[in-house]
Amino acid sequence: MRQPFIQITRLTKHFEMGGQVVRALDGVDLEIEEGTFTVVMGPSGSGKSTLLYLLGGLDRPTSGEIAIEGERLDQMDENALALFRRRTMGFVFQSFNLIPSMTALENVGFPMQFSGVAAAQRGERARGLLDQVGLGNRAGHRPTELSGGQQQRVAIARALVNDPKLVLADEPTGNLDTSSGSAIMHALSDLHKAGRTVLVVTHDPRMTRFATHKIFLLDGHVVSEAEYETAALEAMNVE
Amino acid sequence: MKFIDLLRLVAGNLTRRKARVALTAIGVVIGTAAVVVLVSLAIGLQQSANEQLYGIGDLSQIQVSPSYGGEGVVMGPGGGGGGFAPSDEVKLLTNSALEEFRAIPGVESVIPREYLMSGALMKFQKLESYVNIIGVGTNDVADLGDEAESGTTKLGRGTVVIGVSVPQSFYDPHARPGQEIPPPPEIFDQQVQMVVIKYDANGNEVRKNVALRVTGILKETRGESDWTVYMPLDQVKQFNEWSQNRRFNYNKDGYSMVIVKVSDVEQVIEIADQITAMGYQAFTPQSFLEGINNFFIVLQIIFGGVGAIALLVAAIGIANTMAMSILERTKEIGLMKAVGATNRDVLAIFLGEAAGIGFIGGLGGVLIGWLASQAINIIAAAFLAEQAGQQGGAPISMAVSTPLWLPIFALIFSTLVGMFSGLYPALRAATMIPVLALKYE
Repeated sequence: MRQPFIQITRLTKHFEMGGQVVRALDGVDLEIEEGTFTVVMGPSGSGKSTLLYLLGGLDRPTSGEIAIEGERLDQMDENALALFRRRTMGFVFQSFNLIPSMTALENVGFPMQFSGVAAAQRGERARGLLDQVGLGNRAGHRPTELSGGQQQRVAIARALVNDPKLVLADEPTGNLDTSSGSAIMHALSDLHKAGRTVLVVTHDPRMTRFATHKIFLLDGHVVSEAEYETAALEAMNVE
Repeated sequence: MKFIDLLRLVAGNLTRRKARVALTAIGVVIGTAAVVVLVSLAIGLQQSANEQLYGIGDLSQIQVSPSYGGEGVVMGPGGGGGGFAPSDEVKLLTNSALEEFRAIPGVESVIPREYLMSGALMKFQKLESYVNIIGVGTNDVADLGDEAESGTTKLGRGTVVIGVSVPQSFYDPHARPGQEIPPPPEIFDQQVQMVVIKYDANGNEVRKNVALRVTGILKETRGESDWTVYMPLDQVKQFNEWSQNRRFNYNKDGYSMVIVKVSDVEQVIEIADQITAMGYQAFTPQSFLEGINNFFIVLQIIFGGVGAIALLVAAIGIANTMAMSILERTKEIGLMKAVGATNRDVLAIFLGEAAGIGFIGGLGGVLIGWLASQAINIIAAAFLAEQAGQQGGAPISMAVSTPLWLPIFALIFSTLVGMFSGLYPALRAATMIPVLALKYE
């Protein structure tokens, strides 16, 4: 049987918070195929960000298995995880996380320093990616000289710099106005069209227009769209 | 991560917090400058002490005196070699004792020497001088390590070889006060009169005149030989027998001093210890120098330690700055890890920054320390020259000496201090859990 690109089995993540155990993820099973655009939706505290960070190898599960292309992230040590992230993944964050002292070009090229790419090649590749996200003319600007939307596009270019198969985005439009948000959604959709696997965690229902797959999370469990909408309506009624 | 990229990244990170880095580095500057100045001062003191002691004698020689038993009179620092016989036994420097010394491996020559036991006046034209006459048991003063400035070092009957300062001791006994002091006479290759003086049983002065030719003047050693007139031992023995009215039998009475010359300077202290163990009194300038050098090494360590305390305080400053910086840049650390930095990469970056602060401070400290040393030298040289002018003697050429290894060592040390202070904060940064670092507010 062909193995899915991402396979998550009985995944749990528990936190201790003020003496109480919070079950952020409570037995999640998922399969995600290569080349898909998956949107993970859920209210705050549903565990959707936790899922993304576990999938990105930035956090450790309490139990369960995460396999990407058959490689078990939950069994890797710190060093192997770092190398795996470098090779396979690109991250886009809600707060952009650009390094303020570096120009857009340097920010995009930054991850390549860790893979030992020569400075000249770094510059060339970073410039190409900035052109791709439409910021070729802003290469020398620092993050503070760029708008939120522009910063996020720099971050997308940075996520692509190591040519990852998987792009993980955590609320990428959360800090942006509507039109900038749309531009980012289109940019992520373009990555998907170019053949990458994209997984976006978001509150923004507009994102689902671009999605090939939708995952709904409630209280650490995966639920169907119908269940999710019922729960959302109930929440509204309570209010 | 490539080393050049690491260096660039570290340099970039340091320049983006210029004020804080500068303030932290000032502590290192002070510490390093203190180390450089204080150690330079200790080294300078040692050098000038050695310079002043240079005339203490040939380092390859051991002066051996007989032991008359009982408590000896302390003559000088014992140090590692030399000292006094532990027993009460009387040990005289007889010819057989000299043979024993010659038998010690490493001994090049054994030369007895005797002082003239009576007063002696040397006369040249109108001038005269009371001189220090030593008879040596060799026909060449070169055996004692001396070299000729003019003429020869060879000794013969009726000739003398004199130290370079001997002519300066001549004076005019009939000079009236206020009269100009005559210049030192040119007595090389000249006939001089020597008058040996003794007193008979009734207290009357008895004089004996001898004509001598000065056949050699020795090079300056800044030691005893500069003021000494050397003669063959036999001749001094004759004078002594005449002045003391008795015969000397060296096989029975022994010599008053023997110079043991050692072929390898490294062996001097060891051989001096052997001679001491044989029951004689052995003294070598080397044991004296060694004691002095030990003192200066201790001084260097103490001075260096004072500077090191300043560096320790600076190290705490670096640790604090790095800890602050890591708190501020927690999200950045999370990002580095997200884009594929390993724990080692993060560790290297933050250790590099801490080492960089140490290096910058070290560079400043070495520069300031060196400048301060030069300034001290200029001030001290002027002061010491004035002192030497008042008190006589050669002025000290330098007060502070900075050997090349010192700034290099100080720079490496300050860099290591920086790195070491950054170790704990950098380890904390390296082992942060990425998701917690990314979510840190």
